[in-house]
Amino acid sequence: MKSLRRDLSANPQAANVTSKVFVRSTKSGKVQKIVRELYLREDIPCSSKLCSQCPSIAPADANGNIAPFVLSERPAGTTAFPGGHYLVPDTNALLNGMDLFEHTGAFYDVIVLQTVLEELRNRSLPLYNRLLALIKSDEKRFYLFFNEFRRETHVRRGPEETINDRNDRAVRLVASWYGSHLQQSAKKSKKEKSIPAIVVLTDDKENLRKAKAEDIHALSLSDYVSGLEGSEMLLDMISDSKDARDAKEAARGDLFYPEYFSMSKLTTGLRAGTLHQGVFNVSPYNYLEGSVKTSAFDKPLLILGRDNSNRAIAGDSVVVEILPQDQWKTPSTKIVDEEAVTRNDNPDSEETEAVVTDRERKALQEEVKKAHGKHSEGKPQPTAKVVGVIKRSWRQYVGHVDSSSAGSQSSGRRQQNVFLLPMDKRIPKIRVRTRQASDLLGQRILVTIDAWDRDSRYPTGHFIRSLGELETKGAETEALLLEYDVQYKPFPKSVLDCLPAEGHDWKVPVSKEDKGWNGRRDLRDLLICSIDPPGCQDIDDALHARRLPNGNFEVGVHIADVSHFVKPNNPMDTEASVRGTTVYLVDKRIDMLPHLLGTDLCSLKPYVERYAFSVLWEMTPEAEIVSSDFTKSVIRSREAFSYEQAQLRIDDKSAQDELTDSMRNLLKFSKVLRQKRMDAGALNLASPEVRIETGDDEGGDPLTDVKTKAMLDTNSLVEEFMLLANITVGTKIFESFSQTALLRRHATPPPQNFEDLTNQLSKKRNMELDVSSSRALADSLDRCVDPKNPFFNTLVRILATRCMTSAEYFCAGAFAESEFRHYGLASPIYTHFTSPIRRYADLMVHRQLASAIGYEGEDGHAVIEGVCTRNKLEDICRNINVRHRNAQFAGRASIEYYVGQALKARGEKMAANGVDAGIEEEGYVMRVFENGVVIFVPRFGIEGVVRLEDFVLPGESGARSVAERRELVAHRTTEFDSEEYTLRVEEKGSSDKTRGVDVELFQRVRVNVSSVKEEGRGAGKRRVRILIIEA
Amino acid sequence: MSNQRQASSASQVPHLSPAELSYLYTSLSLPKNPIRPDGRSPTQFRPLSAETTILPGTNGSARIGFADGTQAIVGVKAEVEKTVLAADTLDSRSLAQHGDALNREGEEGSAAVSGQGEWVQMSIEIPGYRDDDALPIFLGEMMRESLVGSVEHKDEMAGGLKARLVINKRWHWRLYIDVSLFLPLDLPVSATDIMQVLLLSQPLSYPLPLLSLTTHLALLSTKLPKLKSTGEEDPFFDDDWAAAEYLYPRSKPSSGAFHPVRPPVTLLVVSVGENVIFDPNREEISVADAVLAISITRSHDSEALKLLSIRSIDPPSRLTQPGIPNSENASMLGAAPTENPSQEEVTGVWRPRRGGIKRSVVARMIKTVLGKGGVGEEVLEGLEGVEVQ
Repeated sequence: MKSLRRDLSANPQAANVTSKVFVRSTKSGKVQKIVRELYLREDIPCSSKLCSQCPSIAPADANGNIAPFVLSERPAGTTAFPGGHYLVPDTNALLNGMDLFEHTGAFYDVIVLQTVLEELRNRSLPLYNRLLALIKSDEKRFYLFFNEFRRETHVRRGPEETINDRNDRAVRLVASWYGSHLQQSAKKSKKEKSIPAIVVLTDDKENLRKAKAEDIHALSLSDYVSGLEGSEMLLDMISDSKDARDAKEAARGDLFYPEYFSMSKLTTGLRAGTLHQGVFNVSPYNYLEGSVKTSAFDKPLLILGRDNSNRAIAGDSVVVEILPQDQWKTPSTKIVDEEAVTRNDNPDSEETEAVVTDRERKALQEEVKKAHGKHSEGKPQPTAKVVGVIKRSWRQYVGHVDSSSAGSQSSGRRQQNVFLLPMDKRIPKIRVRTRQASDLLGQRILVTIDAWDRDSRYPTGHFIRSLGELETKGAETEALLLEYDVQYKPFPKSVLDCLPAEGHDWKVPVSKEDKGWNGRRDLRDLLICSIDPPGCQDIDDALHARRLPNGNFEVGVHIADVSHFVKPNNPMDTEASVRGTTVYLVDKRIDMLPHLLGTDLCSLKPYVERYAFSVLWEMTPEAEIVSSDFTKSVIRSREAFSYEQAQLRIDDKSAQDELTDSMRNLLKFSKVLRQKRMDAGALNLASPEVRIETGDDEGGDPLTDVKTKAMLDTNSLVEEFMLLANITVGTKIFESFSQTALLRRHATPPPQNFEDLTNQLSKKRNMELDVSSSRALADSLDRCVDPKNPFFNTLVRILATRCMTSAEYFCAGAFAESEFRHYGLASPIYTHFTSPIRRYADLMVHRQLASAIGYEGEDGHAVIEGVCTRNKLEDICRNINVRHRNAQFAGRASIEYYVGQALKARGEKMAANGVDAGIEEEGYVMRVFENGVVIFVPRFGIEGVVRLEDFVLPGESGARSVAERRELVAHRTTEFDSEEYTLRVEEKGSSDKTRGVDVELFQRVRVNVSSVKEEGRGAGKRRVRILIIEA
Repeated sequence: MSNQRQASSASQVPHLSPAELSYLYTSLSLPKNPIRPDGRSPTQFRPLSAETTILPGTNGSARIGFADGTQAIVGVKAEVEKTVLAADTLDSRSLAQHGDALNREGEEGSAAVSGQGEWVQMSIEIPGYRDDDALPIFLGEMMRESLVGSVEHKDEMAGGLKARLVINKRWHWRLYIDVSLFLPLDLPVSATDIMQVLLLSQPLSYPLPLLSLTTHLALLSTKLPKLKSTGEEDPFFDDDWAAAEYLYPRSKPSSGAFHPVRPPVTLLVVSVGENVIFDPNREEISVADAVLAISITRSHDSEALKLLSIRSIDPPSRLTQPGIPNSENASMLGAAPTENPSQEEVTGVWRPRRGGIKRSVVARMIKTVLGKGGVGEEVLEGLEGVEVQ
């Protein structure tokens, strides 16, 4: 039998078509072979400005323009490549050194291959996004070269060739092609000068060897960086490469952590319901205790100890397996601080390393004992262990170098390991290799985690940059912003270009014929005023009330018309949607919108005409709403009051002008509205907030600037009308956009969230918390009053607030209508409409409302664009929810920092006078642990952990240094009653019963607050110390 | 009923006159040295061209074409499927007696390892036939049967193809083998009368060998994605197609046999008189005394060929019209036609073949196929010659 094989090699077209074959596994379990045809072309430009050929062949767009060429004519040279060079990194080089590529000092003119970009996307999505951002920005001259589509540089995978080898070959081929291409096509005049060298950056030894054989310049990342200026700092920015780690692993066989399950085992387990997925959280009081909330159980599962948390870091999405029942434990009643427990670890010596040090083990043992307690609350809870990580949420962390780990031999420029203590206590310390250890001491530095291998007790990371000295304003502020992921860079030019050309001279057009007046109502005659915190520049809202001829009242809320200035999908809109919200720090405001809009053109400043978006109600004198109306308008605010000023004006009997009258009416209505809301079951929640009013008198006591928020009637006046406006608008946009309305909901918290608090209240105060509904909760919170302790009620409210979930933005289609409810406000529907200058959600709602009322914009085009796709809205919601939360955290952290600094400044001043006694205040016990308590100090709005040594026993002098106090721990003994929430601290062996301190939950104590510098090993770190001086 | 008739093998009958049939029969039955219309020797196959991996979207594919333009294309697709054993077990437990249930459980345990025949599905498309006509179904079943019942090889493929499809106790592969037969529509002669014939005609020859050989090649080139998960986990596969593994494992070309295990092939053999003829064309089949489909494979333990199945096929010659001897032909001045035509053979006059096949003929057929240096070996060698990449 004869057989023949058809020969295709004769076909001239065959070379231009090739295919890419891979296997795709779908979610439904299908496994498909996917074949993509690839048509190779020759018109993909090299994008070098030196090239004379490519400009003629590069594909042009519809207007006949070709994309501008990126790579410079005169790229920078190094000692090795004096004639300039273009870089061609491979995937590993990018994985290990992305921070380098972002560095502004070097790494210009980089050719990023499509092959590399795709591989990077599969390996690390965050790095991929960072690389895309680099390619998009012009300044670093990164060019994305579609090598797979260009015929000369396309590489067919050989038989038996691994993907890696093939991709490496592709990188080398591009390098050699670029070399010869530029040689041929460089402009004649330039030819005398040398053609830039094409330098492949790779950490793959085999690739380096082959490149050498093929006569291509190839360097490892570290070799290349060594040849640059400032190489020491740059070298520190390279990740611990995989090869190095592999070598290490091969050298030492010890593995401290169990291996993760394979992906398929995880998915099988998840599907079968034997494994559970959730986000790993770490207790702020005990770094060894984590929890994972899973969808299968009401309560989070406990994860105790490093063994069980198995290299998970707070925020990671993990898969856990439940431990057998005999390993179930109670949550810890102890404060365990990583810094204190692992103080003596040496980052360099790994031999002595064990996953669980003896001390840690001891800390855990005591918890096991507790688990055997008989109390109902102390009954063991299910524990679990981490068996796999679905997604790491590692980010960049701010921290400082643990000075004790920097070692004494810091003299030379030798590379050494140091520990970095992250600001965020829930993050373990990070081992960082650095050559500049001595320089980094006392600095705030930014690092990133590269890996956490089984053979390493701590994650390893690398240095990114230094923010400056510890405790300097600049460094600490930047640290805060980085830690909470706030975008604080100045607005790029593309954003500023979207501002009105007139700048500050912009005015509402005089002529009503002007298109700016299209669809706007003239409300300039109304007596409108704004009431805001003192010194407020971005005035979002203004109000008015006037009597109508029929005896009813017209009440109006006027909101800055930001959507007039920020058009959908332009760079300014995109930037604002990314920022999500304005972030307020004590001495800094990071705006969502450029200054010009926020504080001038949009801001409803007094005495000038401004565009506004108005909500108008007709109300009966009993504050029943007769009708509501929405319109774009032009207003002129008559006055901008601060809360105090407004209050004074209202209270001033002599003021009888119309404006004051209108405010009095507003106040009257607001009280009725508030009562109605309360009757419906709205919660009056509290958060431990203080305000910092930075006065200008430098000499004064900075602590006087720290003020607890006073609640004036006028505060609530504004609040009530804003709530009303938000609810009215929410209803309206939901009517028009049943799927895409941007709303805000506050989920009803599950009752078990309140379990602990209910227990504590009934035990300590014999009070009951009824959590069956928001109304019941509101009423029972009202009953939680201690006549001797006026703050007690607030304390309970603070604690109750913490039991709840946080409110969130959502897209109407994402939930059933019954789920829209805002629990805290007891409103069936809610949205944010009233602060478009500082919140992106409000801006979106403005656009939706404009479209709902048929407002067509200046030029008659509907502004509906960008408001109607649900997917996009859901993305926006996700982002602004995160931003919103981060902004809150950043604000609080900023206040905390300010208070600390104020205390420090005061302490220094006092020290000059010879005494540093701190300041005495009232504090309240919020939580009781076995070896300390958490105290809340309302005066400064801070809460802090008080450890054993910081209990001042009767007859003992309070003022001792930190080091002296630390010595005390060993002499202290405690009696802890977890059922009664009491803790007694005594001198060890002392029979004198009077020489002891008893504290219990909710108790008011006298505390001494001061800012102290840690001495000894943890040197350089400052913290607010709270001493209990009198229980 | 006409439908059924058409679908039966009788429809293979070419429009030959009794005289032509008789002539053909006589030349083919010449003792020891039959003369075939196209001059081939009795064991010679028609020349064919073959290639594999021609359909990029499939797991494996092949094409074989005859010089006359008839060609077959086979595509093999594999799909992951959940093994529904648990439900069976439950059912049988609730229904069966206690002891019986225990027995069944044992059986099913082994079934899970050995796989099930219905995991291989075959569909054949022949122009002019509906997919529920008897012919395609019969052909498909005939090939599937030998496929799933075939080879056992201790090291490489214990349990045969069925077992190879088992991923673990809960999952398996399902194999879809789709066969398409193409008729030569682009013949150089484009006279309308030929077209007429073509439109009316059935496949030019009984398509079984063509389909079988093509399927064989397609299966050899079939790859399954590489399994990454282990044990009883939900299957999880390597996304690199180059890492995919052959359905029929291969050894390195250096170590002797390239394919330790091969799918079976089915050959069509006819007997005419004392002669055994391979790869018969349509005319040859129409005069055959017996038509056998013989499935063979290489048995690995002994390097020899192994017979998997023999199926006899209703010879179309049975339904042809008989010729009338001159002696009985009135127009030739013979005797008046009698009521019962005489039963004797008259040389040169066609008579439809009746009755069974002689044992000795069957034995000879099998011997020619299986024997050392026989046709079976030649075919398999030829197929191995088609480089499967």
